[in-house]
Amino acid sequence: MSTHAEVETAVTADWGGGTLPYRIGHKKLGMWLFIVSDALTFSALLIGYSYARLASNQWPTPFKFSPSILFSTTMTLCLLSSSFTMVMAVKASAHGNRRAARRWIGGTMLGGLLFLVLHLYEWNHLISEGLKPFSLPKEWLERWPQASPLFGATFFAITGLHMFHVFTGFCYLGIVALTIRKRTHEDVEVSGLYWHFVDLVWMFVFPMIYLLSVDFKG
Amino acid sequence: MSSRLQNLMQKQDVILNAICLLLATFFFILALSNLRWAGNFLTIDSLFMTAVCLMLAGVFMINPALWAHEHGLFAAEEKGAAPAVDLHFEGTTKLFLAVLGGLLGMTLVEVLLAYFKVPLELMLTILLGLSIIKAALIVAYFMHLRFERISLMLTLVPMLVVCICLLLIFFPDSFRLNKMRTYNQPPTTTTHE
Repeated sequence: MSTHAEVETAVTADWGGGTLPYRIGHKKLGMWLFIVSDALTFSALLIGYSYARLASNQWPTPFKFSPSILFSTTMTLCLLSSSFTMVMAVKASAHGNRRAARRWIGGTMLGGLLFLVLHLYEWNHLISEGLKPFSLPKEWLERWPQASPLFGATFFAITGLHMFHVFTGFCYLGIVALTIRKRTHEDVEVSGLYWHFVDLVWMFVFPMIYLLSVDFKG
Repeated sequence: MSSRLQNLMQKQDVILNAICLLLATFFFILALSNLRWAGNFLTIDSLFMTAVCLMLAGVFMINPALWAHEHGLFAAEEKGAAPAVDLHFEGTTKLFLAVLGGLLGMTLVEVLLAYFKVPLELMLTILLGLSIIKAALIVAYFMHLRFERISLMLTLVPMLVVCICLLLIFFPDSFRLNKMRTYNQPPTTTTHE
């Protein structure tokens, strides 16, 4: 009467695997689960932003194509190319070439750093214009008299949380690169997963926050 | 015992697949008839209904498709058994460069939409569509999910998609809020300091 074992063999075909049900290690599975929960955080924020925008009579669309949109496009390019260098780092590490992996991770960190610097420069510019979490600059209010003051709140919350993720990823990659001799291939791959996720989130933040707020009349 | 159990499992498979297929067909027909009933197809309501119906139909198709896969209906794709722990790395530099090129191209299209100042609703639809394709490319190739076991993808992705779609339940309320406000109040500038 070994029905239990029989059932197990019957379902082994696609879902079995004993101690490694997904044929990946526990670190990688943990990172995947974290990514799923973090994706829900960001989607809730983006949907909250869409809610506020749809429920408002007017929403400011202040970003002029040049320079604002071009600036944020440059930031997107930084992040996308850093994602590519991260893939190359994981590939090098898979082939056992740790030196190359470290160099590629260095390139990734450079892209991330550039993104952070550009982003902070942009924040600084907007704050100096007078944008605050719960109030808009005077010129904006003259142009969009009924505009919702929540623009600043959503903008700073979403891009701020994303910036924090980039910063965290930067530190994480730094630690992995410094201690790469002690690291296994899985460690490098897991850090890569995190970095790609940061890039993936930006693929939604950039169109929804920037491109949909392009100055339609300017 | 063994053959009885196998019989039972087979019957279960058949019943489950039949129910799933039935539900999938139902939702597919619902999506199609929604297209017919809705006068104007390109409204948010209609798109939402269609998307939800198609998604549910797709979710119910997963089980029969897996079953068919297991029973060798798409056997042409399978080549030998995979090793117990997958540590080798698939994908060439060329492939990753191609993916990067695709991502950059789609970003360029998005930015061009902003440059030509396409109407907001159309722009939103195209942007979201392109973003989802970009996200899928990143997850599949950069995050390597395409080369993992299919059970990992099935554990992570459908659940996430359903949860995110459930968040969309708030949107009717935001429309209501907007209408309430414009209906009751003449526009004033004093509400914002």
